[in-house]
Amino acid sequence: MTPADDSTWRLPPIAVLLAAVLLVACAEIGGASMARFKLELARWARGAMLARPAVHGLVGVRDVDEPILDEALVKFDAGLRLFHMHAEGMGAVIVTTTLVATTLVRGAGARRLIVALITVGGAGYPLGYLLWSALIPRLGVESAKNTAEWLVWAPFGGAALVGLWMLTGAVAMRLVRR
Amino acid sequence: MVFVAVFVIALGATTGALMSLLRPQIERYAQARVIARPAIHGLAGSAEYDAEVVARTTFATEAGLSFLHTHAEGLAPLVLLAASLVATFVGPAPARACLQALFALGCLFPLAYLVYALAVLELGRDAGIELVERAILTPLGGAAILGFAALAIALALRRRGPA
Repeated sequence: MTPADDSTWRLPPIAVLLAAVLLVACAEIGGASMARFKLELARWARGAMLARPAVHGLVGVRDVDEPILDEALVKFDAGLRLFHMHAEGMGAVIVTTTLVATTLVRGAGARRLIVALITVGGAGYPLGYLLWSALIPRLGVESAKNTAEWLVWAPFGGAALVGLWMLTGAVAMRLVRR
Repeated sequence: MVFVAVFVIALGATTGALMSLLRPQIERYAQARVIARPAIHGLAGSAEYDAEVVARTTFATEAGLSFLHTHAEGLAPLVLLAASLVATFVGPAPARACLQALFALGCLFPLAYLVYALAVLELGRDAGIELVERAILTPLGGAAILGFAALAIALALRRRGPA
């Protein structure tokens, strides 16, 4: 139990910390898996793309198809790398910013809202990169990107941004009132 | 200190979102700024050569924004945690104030990349990067490095001192 004192950090709810730690753990597992199963992942993606020639605009001519497949595989790999990086980064951001919110935001309603927006948005957003990668072989690069954008990046990223700016405003108000 | 860190994190997250949403507009703006200053960017009037110069400068601008995003998300939480260690473990008030000031300056380091992105467009790629590195990135990055080093020394001394 931490005291309700401005000079001491107050712990965010355990569920928030658990979400952040799980996110970092997933990022680590993702990074390790990318390295360990690089060939298997590339083979799976290539096979799934070859099974859907129309989706990827493949015409059956090697000189035309190979650059298309290569570009899609680069994006597939980039999505996995971006998941790894964003999940690691957002885990740390969730811990630090919810710590600040729990300690410095006075109103209970505002505090809960900020913590919820940052946690849900921050933990959900990186999963969009995983979804993007997973959908590239099935839907094509652009379609997969649009799907991830609307299903994950816009709602979860938007929530995290709103939460972060609300927190910035709340801390600024505390600073002005001091 | 807390405000600076939270502000930098929010700005970094917003930059990432804007870079993703407005990539074509940012690219067009950067290209237009380079073309509007042919002498500064060393454009020669040869389409092939100029296209390469424009592409390199646009890439440097995008890299600056990308560095702002990644450094803000990575450095600001670290600085906030380090400043908490200072508040908890560094005893003498002047030393604590000095370390907090170093971390506050270090926390502004990612903002230098915003200046970097604009400077390469306004002053030319090499001149812009050199100026920002010398005048902003090195002092602010140096403050962060000094802060972390001093904190490490303070923690080591505390460990060796009486319990």
